Amino acid sequence: MSSETLQKILDQYGDRATASEWERALYARDLAPVPALLVNPLFRTRPDIVVRPADSEEVAEIMKMAGRHRIPVTPRAGASTVYFDSVPTRGGILLDLNLIKGIVALDEAAMSVKVKAATTWGELEEFLNRRGLASKSMPSSAPAATVGGWFCMMGYGIGSLKYGSFFSQVKSIEVVLPDGSIQRVTRETAPALDWFVSSEGTLGIITEVELEVRRLNPMRHFVLQAPDADKMRAVMEILIQAPLVPYNLHFSDQQCVKAMYDLGFSPAQMETGCLLGIDYEGTEAELKQAQEMVDQLIAGDKAVISLPRETAEQEWQERYKALKLKRGGPSVLGGEIWLPVKELPAYLEDIRKMSRAYALPLISYGHVVTPEYATVMTMFYADETKIIQYIVNLSLVKKIHDIGYRHQGHPYGVGLWNTPYLRRIYQVPELTELRKRKKTLDHSGIMNPGKVYRSPLMLNPFNFALAMNVLAGVRRVLGKGW
Amino acid sequence: MSQEHDSLYTTLEREALICGRCGYCRSACPVYNVLGWESAAPRGKITLAKEMFSQKQPGELTEEFVKRLSQCTLCGACGGECSTCIDTRRLWLDLRRRIADMGKEPKAYAAIRDNLLANRNISTFSNEERLEWAQDLDDPEALEPRAGAEVCYFVGCVSAFFPQAAQIPLAVAEILTGAGVDFTTMGGEEWCCGFPLISAGFVRDSEQFIRHNVEQIKKLQIHTLIASCASCYHVWKYDSSQALQGYELEVLHTTEYLARLIKEEKIVLNELEEVVAYHDPCDLGRNSGIFTAPREIIQAIPGVTLVELQHHHENALCCGGGGNLQSVDPETAARISALRLDEMKASGATILVSACQQCEQMLTTAAQKAKLPVRVMDVSQLLLEAMG
Repeated sequence: MSSETLQKILDQYGDRATASEWERALYARDLAPVPALLVNPLFRTRPDIVVRPADSEEVAEIMKMAGRHRIPVTPRAGASTVYFDSVPTRGGILLDLNLIKGIVALDEAAMSVKVKAATTWGELEEFLNRRGLASKSMPSSAPAATVGGWFCMMGYGIGSLKYGSFFSQVKSIEVVLPDGSIQRVTRETAPALDWFVSSEGTLGIITEVELEVRRLNPMRHFVLQAPDADKMRAVMEILIQAPLVPYNLHFSDQQCVKAMYDLGFSPAQMETGCLLGIDYEGTEAELKQAQEMVDQLIAGDKAVISLPRETAEQEWQERYKALKLKRGGPSVLGGEIWLPVKELPAYLEDIRKMSRAYALPLISYGHVVTPEYATVMTMFYADETKIIQYIVNLSLVKKIHDIGYRHQGHPYGVGLWNTPYLRRIYQVPELTELRKRKKTLDHSGIMNPGKVYRSPLMLNPFNFALAMNVLAGVRRVLGKGW
Repeated sequence: MSQEHDSLYTTLEREALICGRCGYCRSACPVYNVLGWESAAPRGKITLAKEMFSQKQPGELTEEFVKRLSQCTLCGACGGECSTCIDTRRLWLDLRRRIADMGKEPKAYAAIRDNLLANRNISTFSNEERLEWAQDLDDPEALEPRAGAEVCYFVGCVSAFFPQAAQIPLAVAEILTGAGVDFTTMGGEEWCCGFPLISAGFVRDSEQFIRHNVEQIKKLQIHTLIASCASCYHVWKYDSSQALQGYELEVLHTTEYLARLIKEEKIVLNELEEVVAYHDPCDLGRNSGIFTAPREIIQAIPGVTLVELQHHHENALCCGGGGNLQSVDPETAARISALRLDEMKASGATILVSACQQCEQMLTTAAQKAKLPVRVMDVSQLLLEAMG
């Protein structure tokens, strides 16, 4: 971008804009620990300028200026994904949206709340809970993830099993389109709400979200230990099909249970088996019904053990802290897969085989988010300070995704790094439709470029698969004990 | 992590690598909430620390990084949120120590150290004047150091030398006298607890202060020490254990001791019709685990209604006064105080009570600036008021 434009923005936004090289470097990454050696030759991740707009009018103003000068714009709020969704690929303007936060209006009669988009789920939940209300669902990264950010992703997490996807709970959004216009979008408008869900910040900048809420009900928590994945899946099936649907259903495989034990985080000092966390919310009568159902399930199957109530409470308290497993690292690599629940045991069995083949413990955990699907994170420990080994290890992430694909799964989210898997994530007509939408709203391609729609040259599926498979082969032969 | 014994801390190099950059720390961080830049957020600072210390080729220590590290109140809120259980408070202290070891600390920190080494207290007064505040008592001589007393009251620099805080030691002394407690002080032999030095990274310098104070306690044959300053208390409780090894010393915050006196019915309380909000000092609450004692005192006063601020107990917001922030960036410290005061406004309370001189000073200034008609005071002052 020209120095004139840059200076104009600096003058206009004062201490809410910076071109400091030192500060900008911190906006060139998200959670993904991808080495600079790989990133820097391929992408210009350091923005030219970072601006912190205070409202949608300021966002619109910047979008208009960016449109006039064809400057790429990357929106960023919690920056809590690992796909570089909120990281530039071609420099330009980075919009740090974190000032656009707070509650706009609560409508208790309609059981809905309107919030500014960069409000975190933690902040929203705190506001609602004080009023006897709660979010219907939220991401498992609620303390950092924002309401607008989760809408831009697939939006499945804690509470989705009972209340459906976040998309189903959203009534309207306010969005600043790439041309700088501000629109209120509902299911009836054109473009409609479904255009923006999972769009990962590529169609516009969401500045406000109107969503449904629920009454804050009492909860009851359970943790069950099953000897293996087959048994765990059987128990899951019973719980999913029962008349009373759990609010949250999450699981850990044997390797995850062992890793937690080794780190001293294990619930009730369990060292073996799979764990299933089950959380119900509802009336006292419903909770009583849940208790009876779980009691009956345990009584009917001696292989399944129920852990003490306080362990289950503790597990719920720790629901946002799966990342504590990283203490076994220091680094972790892995993939998150959208996987049919029925495939879970077979998927985990293949993961076990891969673990043996590469002499590498693979840890899996996840959430059942619809009656048919789960999000599964499979990860392994690595050390990013050993750069060559680390890069070779990155190839194993593809192997994890390949196993997911074999079991009718696909990566959960696209961003930049999952673009090689686009054809696994979307059917051709779906992808065609998404590209059409992109062209309609952002014909000059300034809105969060490089994400979602096409893989960049170096990440095209053929090149990517070839390189990763070669590296994985090297890893298999030379990498035992890395 | 809240208290030191819970810490999973390994080394700075490893903890910086463990950080997952999830950003849970950001919402909790008062400095980030005021400044808003990624470099001001705990995860940003840890990212920079990783580049500096955890890589095979260490990064350059920049002035910007040193400045950002000094813009931290050491409140520990980020550690409570951390998804990878990093004891961030310890990490910040470790970083400040490394920077001080390189001689790259902010000028304000060097000034704190020079003054402490010269005067043995954080003021510019002679340390001999430690008991100047006691001149307002009926019998100031009674506070001169006395061996074998049941309790030693460690007054702390702020209470001893800053007139606006003098009401706190006066209240503590009057309550103890009223309750018939056999107590003494260390007089002019009380040195700064060492907390400002630890916070600035001068850990080795702090050790001589800790050793001196421990020697004085031993010399006076004291076995119960009480401190009204949350930071002094924290140093005595957690940082002095090595110097105290083999010596039996019960370390209590004044709120713990006063709550004990109330339970033992050594204090008679009159009715006080007030709505009181309690502000948890970070070094007493989140970083030392004391939440109940101050609340017990407030609730023991007939007629008093205790209300909680929006963020309380482990989640309490910092007053802005910790971590030597005031010495390097008073404006940011004041903006943080204003955030806390907003919660006070919403609480409907008429009195804001805390248990730390620094918190009281910060919040009093913020209330005056905002022209908020509330009284800010220490728990001991409220208690004395209730004793009539």
